Amino acid sequence: MDESTKRKWDFSSSFYDLMAYGPERRWAPDKRNLFANMQGKVLFVAMGTGQDIPFFPPGRDIVGIDISPQMLARARTRAANYVGLLDLQVMDIHKLEFPDHSFDQVVTSCTFCSVPNPIAGLTALRRVLKAGGMLYMFEHTGSHVFPFNLMLDVMTPLWKSIGPEMNRDTVANVKKAGFEIQQVNNIYLDVVKTIIATSPA
Amino acid sequence: MVSQKGDILERRFYFLAGDALSNSTIGMASAWLATSIVDPTWHILTAMLTGMAAGMGLSLILMPLFVSLFGAMEVMLPVMLTAMLAGMVFGMLDAMHVQTFLEVLLGGGLVGILVLMLTYAADAGIHSKNS
Repeated sequence: MDESTKRKWDFSSSFYDLMAYGPERRWAPDKRNLFANMQGKVLFVAMGTGQDIPFFPPGRDIVGIDISPQMLARARTRAANYVGLLDLQVMDIHKLEFPDHSFDQVVTSCTFCSVPNPIAGLTALRRVLKAGGMLYMFEHTGSHVFPFNLMLDVMTPLWKSIGPEMNRDTVANVKKAGFEIQQVNNIYLDVVKTIIATSPA
Repeated sequence: MVSQKGDILERRFYFLAGDALSNSTIGMASAWLATSIVDPTWHILTAMLTGMAAGMGLSLILMPLFVSLFGAMEVMLPVMLTAMLAGMVFGMLDAMHVQTFLEVLLGGGLVGILVLMLTYAADAGIHSKNS
């Protein structure tokens, strides 16, 4: 378990919901659309305080993981209201305790801005995903457009001690981890986006 | 159907108003702070850089409030740009001549709205390339 990352998110859990009201309300329609694709056995990575649970379609079979016990403690109330199977587990993405090829789909939501080693994390997800399985991601990334790229580079060192990194090239990381990109859909500038990829057979 | 449409419109208005409020407030505050710090005797370049730093520093303090209400990247990016530009412009102007409080507030607010419109245009441009 990466203790420093765990501590960071345990600390952030106390004010996370307060900060997430605006972003979650703004992103709700796009998250709902993406999560509507959930089918079969689904791994949801970085559950946080469970802000995304109300956007899950009902009746699905989902395992949600997070590195922070404090975050998951808050998520349990929302999980209790979910109509379907939703199992929450404290787990580090770099050390997934699931057998190979045990999920039909993996879903992430604002996850790979924070995973310490994103390519290793994505490779771990590919291991637990069935061949041909789908990866659905809702992420914010760096930008290729000036001056937004400059702003994100400036913000990253200021922000990352309590939260995410703002300037990662997550689409490139997904490819480097061996996934095949199916679709990238920009939601806000080229920063907030959905990424759909498959694990090659 | 009607209530869903109403909900979408209400949501759109909430975020449009929030974006405008965030950017104009940060623009005004950054311009005011820059002119409060900069002295008319300063060199224009020093005034500009000091104003920029002051604006960006202030935006980091005020930003969490607006982020929590109106969105993450959609607020952070234009607000940081607004703070940087309003601080630069009004720091520089203050080194050239004295401005009234009202001029500073209106000018700072205007910078915020212009930055917001440019950001919307950039967003629309990226989406049109997508489609």
